[in-house]
Amino acid sequence: MCARDHVGATVKTQPFLRSFVTPAALCALAFLIAMAAVLQYSLRAYIPGSLDPGGLTLANFTALLKPLYAQVFLNTVWICFLTASYTLIVGYPLAYALVHVRNRFAKSAILITVVTPLFLGEVVRTYSWIIVLGNNGFINSILLQLGIIETPFQFMFTRFGVVVALVHVTMPVMVIMLAAALSHIDRDYLEAAESLGAGRIRAFATVTLPLSMPGIIAGVTTSFAWTFSAFATPQLIGGGQVNMISNLVYQLGFASFNFPFAASLCVAGLALTLAVLSLLRLATRPLEKMGPH
Amino acid sequence: MKRLLIALFALAFGFPAQAQDKLVVSIWGGSWRDLVAETAAKKFTKETGVPVEFITGGTIDRLNKAKLSKGNPESDITFTTSHVGWLYANDGLFEKLDLAKIPNAKNLADEARISPFHLGGWAYVYTIGYRADLIKDIKFESWADLWRPELKGKLAAPDFDPSHIIAVAAILSGGDIAHWEKGQAKLKALKPNFKAFYTNDANSQQLLATGETPVQIVLSMNAYYMIGQGVPITVAIPKEGAVLGVDTVAIMTGTKKAELAYKFIDALYDPEIQAQIAKLKKGSPAVLNAKLDPEIAKLPGVFTSAAQWKKQINIDPKLRAEKTAEWRKWFAENIMN
Repeated sequence: MCARDHVGATVKTQPFLRSFVTPAALCALAFLIAMAAVLQYSLRAYIPGSLDPGGLTLANFTALLKPLYAQVFLNTVWICFLTASYTLIVGYPLAYALVHVRNRFAKSAILITVVTPLFLGEVVRTYSWIIVLGNNGFINSILLQLGIIETPFQFMFTRFGVVVALVHVTMPVMVIMLAAALSHIDRDYLEAAESLGAGRIRAFATVTLPLSMPGIIAGVTTSFAWTFSAFATPQLIGGGQVNMISNLVYQLGFASFNFPFAASLCVAGLALTLAVLSLLRLATRPLEKMGPH
Repeated sequence: MKRLLIALFALAFGFPAQAQDKLVVSIWGGSWRDLVAETAAKKFTKETGVPVEFITGGTIDRLNKAKLSKGNPESDITFTTSHVGWLYANDGLFEKLDLAKIPNAKNLADEARISPFHLGGWAYVYTIGYRADLIKDIKFESWADLWRPELKGKLAAPDFDPSHIIAVAAILSGGDIAHWEKGQAKLKALKPNFKAFYTNDANSQQLLATGETPVQIVLSMNAYYMIGQGVPITVAIPKEGAVLGVDTVAIMTGTKKAELAYKFIDALYDPEIQAQIAKLKKGSPAVLNAKLDPEIAKLPGVFTSAAQWKKQINIDPKLRAEKTAEWRKWFAENIMN
């Protein structure tokens, strides 16, 4: 049966499929048209003082060859890597507790703590972190009052501050994905390992951790991709000193009305995202085999 | 009965009023919208019986929307910054104004007559605002004081527009904004003093209020708002002058309510309305015949005479519209990153 016949047969047996797929196909088409518009803008010349772009040019892309842009692109990848790693380190114990804690109240408390950030906008969350990380903020005030430090730690306008706030942004997604993976692990495997003499740590390292690998990979990949497009957090916590690709798009494109250059930055950023995610997929392929079959 | 049913239906589903029943004004949100709603819009509605509806958004969002609805504008009137107004005008989005239909415009300051398409609604300055409780030994009598080594890591400036400090550096280097390259070395020397770049008024307020950046190149109206909130900020006007900013008003090309739009702009230039704007937001009147409360009139950045307007550093808005991308790129490449 050729592919066309197969699709036809599927639609016949599932008549609702066409009405379900049509909106998604229309959305995909609209997305493609928008992407095509961005691409054509990136290949047009900027005319100072005008909203209309000029003729075709590659100047917007050649301008990206300056070291500054390479530095911001690398900085973006590094921040994404750090954010995904720290989110995993903090999120895994939370997800584990969420799945294994038996007390209903404790389970609800963990769930609410983890999920609440999803209900706040990124800007609100970021402003909260400004209050926590500032020179007169919560952390520095406590450390100063306890006499542990004499001058405030500089958290704001640093990469560390940006990563801390981004970890908070990506945490709910990571925990939800990890919890889904952990809850699907058959407890019989753990009991079998323990009955064969494995201690709790060994059982975790040889059974739970490998079987939760699909969740880890999904969580890390999603955190990584999500952080790539972060704007408000690096904009406000970074204060112009820690810039990611989206901040550059805003600074050099939109705030300057140079929309062709903004478009070229978007295209380059998208290409970088796809390249890094492909590499990530290649790197994690051997780990996927550790998951349940 | 049929009419009653239609009326009830419209009431229940909140159908918008007919287009000719209102004047639509595009402006920034928050306190800017409130400022116009409480002053010019109120007077306009009182005189004409026509309500004013506001559509709000950021400078660039509204510019893009206007571009996309060219010829069939969403708003009849648009407020925007003077140099951004040139982008609208260059694209044919603003109608050429007939000043004979705006009698009150005869009192406008020269610097507020931006173009045949857009006129200043009020003015302000970008100048030095600082926390005198945290910066004790500097009075900021000159812009050159910003370069003092003791201000290392203490200064903030807007990240959306470096034109103010670029103009200042050019002047301090013996040039002017048209020959801004003369100030490049001077600007690079200021880099160690920058601690952060703020992204909007709220961000500027937060950085000054917490003392995170005790010195800022700040919008005067924003500084006065913070002072009103109890933040101990001193607004300094350097001897070289502060950098003038003008927010403008224009009529959109293609509006079907041009006559009403002219009446609205004339209401905006009423001396009493201009005095109210100065009182409410500490912005400078755009006209020279507004009678201000002496306490307001003495504030830095509020001008009551033509001479005061001329003392400020005035970056030609048309040049600024053309050069913003070049300045912004140089600033991002050499100072911010």
